[in-house]
Amino acid sequence: MKIRTGFLAPIAAVLLASTAGVASAEPLKVAVIETLSGPQASTGLLFKTAAKYGIDKINAGGGYGGEPIVLLEYDNQGGPVGAADKVKAAIADGARFIVQGASSAVSGQITEDVRKYNIRNPGKEVIFLNVGGEALELTGAKCHFHHFRFNPNAQVRVKPMVLAMKDAGILGTRVYAMNQNYSWGIDMEGAIVANAPLGGYTVVEKTLHDVNKIQDFSPYVAKIAAANAETVMTGNWSNDLLLLMKATRGAGLKARFATAFLDQPGNIANAGEVAVGHVVSHPFNAEASEASAAFAEDYKAKTGHYPVFIEPQTAFGVAMVGEALKSVPPAKDGSVDINAVAKAIETVKVKTPMGEASMRAADHQAQIPMVVSIVAEDAKFKVDGTPLGFKPMKVFTAAEASSPVQEACKMTRPN
Amino acid sequence: MEHLLVAILNGTIYGLLLFMVSAGLTLIFGMMGVLNFAHASFYMLGAYVAYALSGVLGFALAVIVSPLVVGAVGVVVERYFLRRVHRFGHAHELLLTFGLSFIIAELIKLFFGNFPVDYRVPADLSFSAFRIGGTDYPVYRLIMGAVALAMFGVIYALLTTTRVGIVVRSAIFRPRMAEALGHNVPLVFMGVFGVGAALAGLAGALAGAFYTTNPNMALELGVLVFVVVVIGGLGSLEGAMVASLLIGIVTSLAVGIDASFADLLGIIGLGDWARAVGGPLTLQVSSLAATIPFALMLLVLLVRPSGLFGDKS
Repeated sequence: MKIRTGFLAPIAAVLLASTAGVASAEPLKVAVIETLSGPQASTGLLFKTAAKYGIDKINAGGGYGGEPIVLLEYDNQGGPVGAADKVKAAIADGARFIVQGASSAVSGQITEDVRKYNIRNPGKEVIFLNVGGEALELTGAKCHFHHFRFNPNAQVRVKPMVLAMKDAGILGTRVYAMNQNYSWGIDMEGAIVANAPLGGYTVVEKTLHDVNKIQDFSPYVAKIAAANAETVMTGNWSNDLLLLMKATRGAGLKARFATAFLDQPGNIANAGEVAVGHVVSHPFNAEASEASAAFAEDYKAKTGHYPVFIEPQTAFGVAMVGEALKSVPPAKDGSVDINAVAKAIETVKVKTPMGEASMRAADHQAQIPMVVSIVAEDAKFKVDGTPLGFKPMKVFTAAEASSPVQEACKMTRPN
Repeated sequence: MEHLLVAILNGTIYGLLLFMVSAGLTLIFGMMGVLNFAHASFYMLGAYVAYALSGVLGFALAVIVSPLVVGAVGVVVERYFLRRVHRFGHAHELLLTFGLSFIIAELIKLFFGNFPVDYRVPADLSFSAFRIGGTDYPVYRLIMGAVALAMFGVIYALLTTTRVGIVVRSAIFRPRMAEALGHNVPLVFMGVFGVGAALAGLAGALAGAFYTTNPNMALELGVLVFVVVVIGGLGSLEGAMVASLLIGIVTSLAVGIDASFADLLGIIGLGDWARAVGGPLTLQVSSLAATIPFALMLLVLLVRPSGLFGDKS
């Protein structure tokens, strides 16, 4: 299934061109390949909304080469197989940029497909804008010139989390690493262990559990109690996070949760009071500054809700690409030099509401500011219709949050 | 020792919850010979209906009314959908329930959104029953367990001691004979289907508040419920009870075991070799906990294809 938004734009362009009698170039096309149906659609739809917001902003500023950029939408149906099909479809439809974020497994598939396509089709390259796949290997062993990651990864999430909690004196010295048993959870566990000297804590126990299969977390809570942990650090998302938190508080444990995805919509509504005092390390908090509040209000005016979860990073990522496009105007025949755009993305610096962001040339991992927030009643922006919200504890600049380039990344650059 | 006790208690309560959902499924299968793919959707429906009603009626009343609503939905499904396709055979019934599960899930998303809703255990009920192994034991867990046990007792007594039970059992065992003796078998089918759906709804109304009420809850529990029914034996209530408890307790105990196959091989001196090989040999049992029910199902299917208590072939 494919839905074209802004389908009027190309029609209008064609009409204009025919009346004026001037041959007009094909508009630049950006394809969102997300999970738009099925059980995991909720996150995919958020990525789509944010990408559309970003593209609309670029178009409001004149689009590309005087034409609005066209956003194409493809439903990958939740898995790498569907995504591989849709990558082919998108390229056949003329897309030069592919945007995707939900699930590292899908990102892994798309990045490989794009890499191979570009090798076989020099001159017709495609860029993959990864706005949510957080697996380390995407900017590690699997890194390549046409992949750009605009979201944080496990290392970038954990480091600010540890620093901010230590500053506030709520980190404690006994940390439990509880994660899901797949690439992301394993990355998180690695980052939690690696940051132990920085935070001055000991990892008292590490657990990897099945992903989204467990209803009853009480046996895991018993392990947390037995380990006598003060803080539970976890990369869990969705139900795995909610159920774990609820079971822990239900058992009367005081352990504080340090999370990566507590800001997923619905979490606070469902957890309620249980969530108070828990911490999240994320790339955006509307309360962080006046600029971020203004961005949040504008986003709400355009989309109907405040930007949450993965939306800000996606909007900022698209904005970064928009900035890069400004320095690479289309050729006379309307074609785009994708390699030049990629090089421009590497050098561009954008001022996001959270601070300056840029793209590191060595591994194409975005250098973005991070913020560590705590769930509290006195937060300005309430979430999920509850009296609770995320109160910023500390904002980190891109340089402070950054983690070093992975040695595994061997990027071949075009001449 | 305390941890072992906690693990067994946790496993038992979780098993009882599984039983509440699978009881209806196994009864319906026993009666109609059809695996009802929409059964876990009734569980989800129960949670959402109770959530919607709890604002108006209060929690306790919502939990009582919700199963009745879901039961009514079940009756409608049987009377106006399943009965129509019944004469075309089981495949059609199966496909119908399969489609129905999608429709219910999409409707729920349409009305309640994509994300979890704030359906929670009321404050009056979220206190600790006792302390064990360094943690509080929520009283709500005990309530869920008690309701499941009461449910088992009532259904079992109903089926084995009352006249209604005799008619139902005969309708399940030899529907044509029962019909020839003047019993309204379609009515019995409709009743059992409705009761089965209501039981799942009750489980949903209770568990939705304790776990999470979200549009994926049917998927999350659905697979496990099928595993329970297969292990217990299709159509057997006692089987469903035993299988539920077995799965609950085994999973709960497995979480606490940090050993791997490599450690086991270490006993015969192959530990270092196993660790060098890596892969599945070094996986900890605890990380496989949620997979164990499926392994159990395979084992049961290999050794006793009709399930632990199954007698239907």
